[in-house]
Amino acid sequence: MFKYVMRRILQMIPVFLGVTLILFVLRIPGLLPGDPIQLIVGEKTLTPALRAQIEEKNHLNEPAYVQYGYYVSNLLQGDLGESYQKSRSVTSILADKFPNTIRLAVAAILVEIVVGLLAGIISAVKQYSFWDVLVTLSTSILVSVPVFWLGMLLQMLFGIKLKQWTGGALFLPITGMGTPPDIAHLILPAVTLASVSTAYVARIMRSQMLEALGQDYIRTAMAKGLTERAVVFKHALKNAMIPVVTFIGIDLGALMGGAILTESVFSWPGVGREIYLAVLQRDWPVVMGGVVIVVLIVMVVNLLVDISYALLDPRIRYGGAAE
Amino acid sequence: MALLEVSDLKTQFTTRDGVVRAVDGVSFALEEGHTLAIVGESGSGKSVTALSIMRLIPDPPGKIAAGKVVLRGESVLDMSDADVRAMRGDRIAMIFQDPMTSLNPVFRVGFQIGEALRIHKGMSRKEADARAVEMLDLVGIPNAPHRAKDYPHQFSGGMRQRAMIAMALACDPDILIADEPTTALDVTIQAQILELMIELQQRKGTAIIMITHDLGVVADMADDVMVMYAGKQVEYGSADAVFYSPQHPYTWGLLDSLPRHDIDEKGTLLPIEGQPPSLIDVPPGCAFHPRCPYAQAVCRETCPELREIEPGHMAACHFAGTDSLVRGRVATAEGEVR
Amino acid sequence: MTREDKKLHDVQSGMEGPRDAGGHPTKDERVVGPILPGAGEVAARPARTLWGDAFTRLRKNKLAIIGLVWVTIVIALALSADLWVPRFFAEPTFTGFGSLEAPSAQHPFGTDRIGRDVFSRVVYGSRPSLSVGVLAVSISLALGLILGALSGYYGGVLDAFIMRTADVFFAFPYMLFTIALLAVLGPGLQNVFIAIGILGWPSIARVFRSSILSVKENEYVDAARAMGASDLRIMFRHIMPNAIAPIIVYGTMSIGGAIITEAALSYLGMGVQAPTPSWGSMLSEAKALMIPAPWLTIWPGFAILTTVLAFVLMGDGMRDALDVKMKD
Repeated sequence: MFKYVMRRILQMIPVFLGVTLILFVLRIPGLLPGDPIQLIVGEKTLTPALRAQIEEKNHLNEPAYVQYGYYVSNLLQGDLGESYQKSRSVTSILADKFPNTIRLAVAAILVEIVVGLLAGIISAVKQYSFWDVLVTLSTSILVSVPVFWLGMLLQMLFGIKLKQWTGGALFLPITGMGTPPDIAHLILPAVTLASVSTAYVARIMRSQMLEALGQDYIRTAMAKGLTERAVVFKHALKNAMIPVVTFIGIDLGALMGGAILTESVFSWPGVGREIYLAVLQRDWPVVMGGVVIVVLIVMVVNLLVDISYALLDPRIRYGGAAE
Repeated sequence: MALLEVSDLKTQFTTRDGVVRAVDGVSFALEEGHTLAIVGESGSGKSVTALSIMRLIPDPPGKIAAGKVVLRGESVLDMSDADVRAMRGDRIAMIFQDPMTSLNPVFRVGFQIGEALRIHKGMSRKEADARAVEMLDLVGIPNAPHRAKDYPHQFSGGMRQRAMIAMALACDPDILIADEPTTALDVTIQAQILELMIELQQRKGTAIIMITHDLGVVADMADDVMVMYAGKQVEYGSADAVFYSPQHPYTWGLLDSLPRHDIDEKGTLLPIEGQPPSLIDVPPGCAFHPRCPYAQAVCRETCPELREIEPGHMAACHFAGTDSLVRGRVATAEGEVR
Repeated sequence: MTREDKKLHDVQSGMEGPRDAGGHPTKDERVVGPILPGAGEVAARPARTLWGDAFTRLRKNKLAIIGLVWVTIVIALALSADLWVPRFFAEPTFTGFGSLEAPSAQHPFGTDRIGRDVFSRVVYGSRPSLSVGVLAVSISLALGLILGALSGYYGGVLDAFIMRTADVFFAFPYMLFTIALLAVLGPGLQNVFIAIGILGWPSIARVFRSSILSVKENEYVDAARAMGASDLRIMFRHIMPNAIAPIIVYGTMSIGGAIITEAALSYLGMGVQAPTPSWGSMLSEAKALMIPAPWLTIWPGFAILTTVLAFVLMGDGMRDALDVKMKD
């Protein structure tokens, strides 16, 4: 088990270096729109002396590989540079936004788990019933819905129409996040963010459950005299859950990385929206720093998912060889 | 009164292409502590018979259409779902052919053995665990207290089947149904598992229904033998009668495809030619006639009834017990016909 | 196998017949026949090609046919738009309060802020969506097939390099990477093609690589090699035809994904630029007008949903017809 974890961590290193390399190439001056030095000084007039001073300070006059070295070493020290727009370090900007993103991600995951798992289980246990058809159909539709449009529809329905119908008595807020813990502000963004993944969870749960229910060990459990409920919820579910948990874990990683679209629709002050706004303002350090941090977080969460996968499945836990 | 009486059992499956009569009118009785072997090729309906007794036929598509299953005077087919569950695993237990897939991979072996004890005997988790260790010990798993904590994938195939037997016998059932328990195992392990079953039967007095496609497996342990073909019973009688004076050409086929050392050294193995029929489209007349080397006109037209050839020995063949067939049989043995 | 066949098969294999641990029939099957008709039927069916068989099955899948019909309609509308849309719908009304008119007979989907007919814009908006769907996926396919083929066929260091690069691409959250890439390339439809195209290759390469690996083990490939066939010939004659089914399914589904991504990028203002209509940018304009003009939000989104759904249904249908196993 320890060896497995170590190997996974070692595998992460080249991938992460690859990511930094791609991002480094993207931020080479000249590739990005706008003169970076002009962007750094902002409104001030740029004298040749000032330009030279800034180049010196940011190692811009060194060869590319030296710059990459500086970039990685700064990165490892947690230094992502300064924002062009706000005179703050990128690290502190991101640190402000991450809690909001995590709050939204966790809420969305809860929706996924509750709705997705239930729908998938019902669908599998009552295969070909009305409920199964309903779940199958609605998941097909959900994976085809653009999330930002779904968000807009929910805003229209629960923010605007509901308010009109109830004379302003009942409605859900549609922008911002209020002061935590403000659940009302959280509902619509969480549902929107969870929508597609919930459909996937339901689908995977259904197919895994159907597969598990067709296994020989289910017949063994029935022959033992277990109730159908015990067979479904104990013997089948525990097997079917393994891939589903993996999916949810990976999704959690992805959601932690910020949900650009959902956060934009609902003006949720998270990391995704921050990076998007930085793109619009050409605030490259925030963009590139944000992406690196997000990638790192996603990788770490995925590693944790892999480990928990091994913990869930005794065949991997005690089998020695993983994969 | 016999321990288990099955009469005229009919189990069907509805498919897109029609109704499959997987079991079509099977009757037999099982005495306390006896062993009944149900023999036949795959698709002959022997496993479906067993699953019908356990009421484990998936419905839909399956359905027990007719017949009676009576366990100690109680009609199994009329039991409530709760009563059936109380019966399964406690009064009738079952082990399956593939021990690799019949154990749940994500639960510890000991837990799976103890599960039935907790349902049927109301044992606590701790008592059930202790008993599971005893059972593992009983079926010859070394270091049982330790192995009970293992997961199925840590067991070898033979050990898993031992664990399955431990699981089945945990509640001291009246009947153990073993569905091809050795088919998926190595030959050497097969013998060990059979020996274990015989030994445990002697010790506990459990009646066994042994389902197999291989007559050789049951020669030593069966009291009675029932041969099935295309969902029907074609021969039924004591093991001695069926082995030493088989009446149905299909039974001969099964016997001929066994390696034997007692008749002659040169005896060649004769496989039964052809394929069993599709159960949707069973041939008219005797279902076996397309593969039967002795088939006559009557076999193509009339389905032979199961009838008593000698006391307690039944066969479903128009020519069973007649000289013509016996002569044919001798001729076959001498290699003149085929 | 259709779903029903599969179910039958499950029932069947669950009940009878000696099978080894992997569920394969054991040697005893010499006298073993089908208990239920599934297997027998397959054997009795006249031999047809994989594709012929798949086509027959696809035709029976109602949802897939609905998807195909809808895609055809959308393509036809997009191609023929110049012929009929301007005549009936396109000119802005500009008649004083002609802006934000509710749907009517003259403007079936209403009008927008500056009085343009929303129906015409939705019809024209299909063009960037479909072209991104086709072009971006073509770029992904071209890159993915080549890299996947190299990786799967040659293995070794090349394989490791390509697959680790794919890992790097997978490490980026998709939307974030697309936006970062577009930030570098600049907004605009062409760059959307390129960004979505470039980011799509790793999945295609992985899918194709694994199907090549499974086909490569077959004996007819060894036979072809023994007979001195060149690598290219083996690839195109022997491996491609057998490894392509998952790619067709995956490609079809990717078109739907590319359409959604394009809409999202245009919604964020990084894709198609005004005044060219696109479903995403229309939704972006609709955002501030949700209260007075809900139709601006409803119709473009509905167009995205139905078009993407049509591709998903087609993909699902092809997956079932070609019996491709995917991780859902």
